[in-house]
Amino acid sequence: MSKALSRAAMASAFVRSFLIQGSWNYHTMIGSGFAFAMLPGLRRLFSENPEQMDASVRRHSEHFNAHPYLCNIALGAALRLEADGADPETVRRFKLAVRGPLGSLGDSLVWATWLPGVSVAAMGLFWLGLPPWMVVAFFLTVYNVAHIGLRTWGFRAGLRDGLDVGRGLGEADLTGWTVRLKPLVVGLLGVLTGAVLGGAGGLGDAGALWAGLGAVGFLGGLLVGHRAWRPAAIGIVVAIALVSASGVLR
Amino acid sequence: MDILRVGLLGGLLGLDGTSVGQFMVSRPVVAGALVGWAIGAPALGITIGVILELYLVVSFPTGGARFPEGATATAVAVASAAGVDAAGGIPLGIAVGLVWGQLGGATITGLRHLNSWLAPEPEDATHGPARIVSAHFTAILLDFTRGAVVTGSGVWVGTLVVRRLVESWPLSASASMGLLLVGGAVSAGILLRDLGGFRRRRTVFVAGLALGLLGARFL
Repeated sequence: MSKALSRAAMASAFVRSFLIQGSWNYHTMIGSGFAFAMLPGLRRLFSENPEQMDASVRRHSEHFNAHPYLCNIALGAALRLEADGADPETVRRFKLAVRGPLGSLGDSLVWATWLPGVSVAAMGLFWLGLPPWMVVAFFLTVYNVAHIGLRTWGFRAGLRDGLDVGRGLGEADLTGWTVRLKPLVVGLLGVLTGAVLGGAGGLGDAGALWAGLGAVGFLGGLLVGHRAWRPAAIGIVVAIALVSASGVLR
Repeated sequence: MDILRVGLLGGLLGLDGTSVGQFMVSRPVVAGALVGWAIGAPALGITIGVILELYLVVSFPTGGARFPEGATATAVAVASAAGVDAAGGIPLGIAVGLVWGQLGGATITGLRHLNSWLAPEPEDATHGPARIVSAHFTAILLDFTRGAVVTGSGVWVGTLVVRRLVESWPLSASASMGLLLVGGAVSAGILLRDLGGFRRRRTVFVAGLALGLLGARFL
């Protein structure tokens, strides 16, 4: 890799990647955040040519979107391409090519599998009687080991491979990890369901009526999917309002 | 005093939702415990946090998604229910929290429109690094302010609502929890569907269920 990128510039870009969604908007999405994270590297690379630097900042603030953790792959690779003196059109085409895959891979691995998995495990531990601080410590530690690991790996892979980062991404087999994790999360969801049904203060203690309604709700969610979520949330708020009104009018 | 304290905490937690870090301290299970500790009610905080986590476990913080703001919902629910020694405190607090979470989600959408105006146009030849940095930090500061104001106002309204209605709440504590868990059960069903569905995953789900029942019995 080009020596033009100092360790300090790379470290600063990595730290800034934690703020990459700070100015998320419907026009350029994380475009301006991407340029913000690139700045330490660009300042170093174009220290003697401010006009070239301004042009590069403008290019990197164009529309871009990806999963915030896997975005570091694109960030590292873009820094590497700029350090290697790649022409602007190559950098633009590279970012255009990776944004879709980095978004969908991250959504499916992190948002749809890892986050609910750790969350379900933490809730299960709560229902099984663990003290609050242990539940919180478990959630934050387990979740963020993978979170920070993914950001670090992605940034390094991008810096190392540049345009060839697809190879490293393929070798990491993120889709395979998603597929392998899903049954584990289902098992944890089963544990949580059992703990809520049988645990102190859970549905079992509430009585047969609530346990039966809970089973109906579970089946409804299973059959209808995400379309059931908003009506269920509104239904609970309305039910609480009606119960409260019945108490006031009694 | 709690309004100010919880409002500021809500502003910080709101930042974690999208703008800064995404370490997931904004998830209800963590936010509930943190707000609970801040106001001296950690057990209440995590109880409400876990219920709202169960509701929101299927809402993902994807970039452009419009989602209820879990940190706001949780902070408002916990602070509204704190200090109320009656069965209605938790359900009434959660109801206000869910409504305020939706409001928080709407303000995030508004902020993103505002950010579209703040963020420099890439085609604008006059903008350089300083403009990018100032726009970025202004957007983060606005997000913090938004979270703090939404949370603080929610705590004010929630406290009034809960104090006004809690005495006449007719259900017992266990029935109130049953009512709340019915909503959580819908989310659990949605999550199982997302992860492959019951037919495909029944063996591992039932094995987990048995383990959970045994754990609840013996732990």
